[in-house]
Amino acid sequence: MTVIVTVGGFVVSVILGLLFAGARTGRNPVLRWLAYAYVEVFRAVPVLTQLFIIYFGLGAIGIKLNPIPAAIIGFGINGGANLTEVFRAGIEAVGRGQAEAAHALGLSRTWTMIHVIMPQAFRVSLPSLVNFSIGLLKDTSLASAVAAPEVSFNAHMLVDRTFLSTQIYLLVAVLYLTISFPLAVFGRRLERRLTAGRSR
Amino acid sequence: MISMSLIESWLPELGVGALRTVEMASLAYLLAAVAGLLIALAEGSGLRWLYLVCRTYIEFIRGTPTLTQLFLIYFGLTSLNVVIPGFQAAVIALGLHYAAYMAETYRSGIAAISSGQSEAAAALGLHRLNVMRLVVLPQAIRIILPPMTNFAISLLKDTSVASLIAAPELMMNATDITSEYYMPMPVYLITGAIYFLMAFPLSLLAGHFERRSGNRLRRDLV
Repeated sequence: MTVIVTVGGFVVSVILGLLFAGARTGRNPVLRWLAYAYVEVFRAVPVLTQLFIIYFGLGAIGIKLNPIPAAIIGFGINGGANLTEVFRAGIEAVGRGQAEAAHALGLSRTWTMIHVIMPQAFRVSLPSLVNFSIGLLKDTSLASAVAAPEVSFNAHMLVDRTFLSTQIYLLVAVLYLTISFPLAVFGRRLERRLTAGRSR
Repeated sequence: MISMSLIESWLPELGVGALRTVEMASLAYLLAAVAGLLIALAEGSGLRWLYLVCRTYIEFIRGTPTLTQLFLIYFGLTSLNVVIPGFQAAVIALGLHYAAYMAETYRSGIAAISSGQSEAAAALGLHRLNVMRLVVLPQAIRIILPPMTNFAISLLKDTSVASLIAAPELMMNATDITSEYYMPMPVYLITGAIYFLMAFPLSLLAGHFERRSGNRLRRDLV
């Protein structure tokens, strides 16, 4: 369940992040402002508060979501704000001359974005993206507060039954470590390979 | 139905919660800043075993959720007959959590100061501790200011997790009001707005620091 919430939240975050990063770096001032407001609001409010608004808040006004979809939406919207900034930094890291050159060769703005800017921006954003996925994996532990049955929630149930809190929470910590540590190592290796490619 | 007077009756309790949140975040930040610096210095001290202890600590903290660490300290220690009140447990857990992240930031800040500087200072006869205190750290602080401000923002938001061990802070009070009136939507929306009012100025400050250090870098390049 932890994996489902993490993967679901990640996919929603990436989609929202790409859309809003496009809006944030685009030419339309309304969209640009909208993206700015989205990033600032959702980065300034705790993800727990956002989860409670989506799960308990919407539930009380008649929109009842199951805990798992609620958690995926909550983490997705919250993560989207973080990834908007990550992708924006990636897009801005690609030199402006590239877009101008593509334009001079007759590529439309959309094609320039897809074929020229995005592939390079993706490289720049990749390390942050890996870090984000590790953060997300750990944050899903908060879904236990809205009773989505992931690792932490199950651990809580076990503790209630057995009272072996130290052992069980240590075990939970080890469980998270076994998933997030390889991710961190993977991220570092990826980073090294990409920077090596650039220096060559 | 929701009315202005109803919201007004919630505000005192939410206000008290917000103050406790600020208190918790400040104490945890202080603990993290000091402990993080000690870890960074111990890691770079050149002692092999100390380095390994620090690395293990950092990897463990960074690889596990804040919530799990909070539960370990609060429920875990209780079962070993060490009873800590929720507020203090949250300060310790969050402080130790951020100490690991800050240690990494200090380390990169120290590494960014070229080794020629500390060699020069050592050649001038400064003691190793004084080299750190007088030459390296003052310059490193400039570099780490933006990430350190960002830590303050994340820490402020992460205090909300303390409500899950019933430590008194903003999110806890919001949940209390919710269970009394059963109006989660307005209560949590107002709570979110309060968090925003606290975190947004910090976010502007972080942006300011980032721009300033960026400008400095650009000026240095010219």
